Amino acid sequence: MDRHATALSSVGVLIEAVGRGSQAALKRLYELESRRLYGIALRIVRRPEIAADVLQETFVQIWQNAAAFSAERGAGAAWLTGIVRFRSLDAVRKLGREVLTDDPALGDAALEPDIIDKIDAAAEAGALKRCFKLLDDQQRRCIVLAFVDGLSHSEITERIGVPLGTVKSWIRRGLLTLRRCLQS
Amino acid sequence: MIPENPDELHVLAGEYVLGVLDEAEASEIAGALASHSELRRAVMFWEEQLHPLAELAGPTTPPPGTWEAIEARIAGQALRAPAPGFWNNLALWRWSTAGLAAAAASLALWIAVAPAPGPSFVAVLRPPQQDQASWVAAADRSGLVVRAVSAAAAPNERVFELWAIVPGAARPRSLGVIPANGELKLSPLPPDLRDGVTLAISVEPLGGSPTQQPTGPVVFVGIVTAV
Repeated sequence: MDRHATALSSVGVLIEAVGRGSQAALKRLYELESRRLYGIALRIVRRPEIAADVLQETFVQIWQNAAAFSAERGAGAAWLTGIVRFRSLDAVRKLGREVLTDDPALGDAALEPDIIDKIDAAAEAGALKRCFKLLDDQQRRCIVLAFVDGLSHSEITERIGVPLGTVKSWIRRGLLTLRRCLQS
Repeated sequence: MIPENPDELHVLAGEYVLGVLDEAEASEIAGALASHSELRRAVMFWEEQLHPLAELAGPTTPPPGTWEAIEARIAGQALRAPAPGFWNNLALWRWSTAGLAAAAASLALWIAVAPAPGPSFVAVLRPPQQDQASWVAAADRSGLVVRAVSAAAAPNERVFELWAIVPGAARPRSLGVIPANGELKLSPLPPDLRDGVTLAISVEPLGGSPTQQPTGPVVFVGIVTAV
């Protein structure tokens, strides 16, 4: 057990410590990140008991794979986000969206006018925030429905009532605009 | 088909990270990640760039008992794989079925999607409490190979025997005695070999353990990781 791990706060450093087998580091990582990750899972799967399962799976995966993370040194928080999102989408696929929610307000947050301001003002979000402003409302809305709410092309189509081809094209153009902006 | 045009490639990678593709499309990308470095870079680009958007979900406190459940699930897996620096030793992985860097880059993606190229696993075994990598195991659909990294010899009149410890299983299962040349090949892949299984090597009498369970000391351990 790595006693020093409890004093660490950097996510990337903690993941590396987990990779060396420190359960204390995993616990610290849970303390720091579980609310954020659970929030992401809950938003996608909608049901607390399923989101809790997803969170468990996520931390078991972190424990098993943290040693491999160190090799590439990607951003720790992004790595965690990726794991919890894919776990959540997997749960949605297995269980079926309709089993998970009959919430008529699903996805409405993507319509909020101040959505850009809500994007985390953290430094790392700076470029994304700047570039997100270049998208038109529909592109922005589709990308948020996909990334944050976990909806597929066809689910977005049903949700906002436009043809599938239109949704695909909005997302596509949104991604191209974002990429050019983020790379510049 | 993974497009060659950089714009098309980036759009596809972005759609993949957003999660809007259907399962067949997503599987195709997952299958191509290990060998397609441009695609891998594009997927990583989107993962890193888009992840702040997830903050829009808003933090929520998980139900009580969640950490305890996680702790219980990893309890049987306390023996860990290698020190991080070891994973950078690419020479060691040259013969493995997929580069480990690929595994790191695309881990989150591999976890969720269909097993397009078939399962692929690696494990590094070392003495308990030590960093010295002593054996490497690599497995794919066709079977399992375990090899000594450095010259490893069992004590006189003894042999090394390989065991699989499946999380939740009551006892280890023998995978066989390792030949004196330090290489054990098993084909097909033992059915319960998967992510999270612990491999252990014990010292046994000639011919292997007479009891179907380890009788001598466990001298090397490692955890199987999907790549």
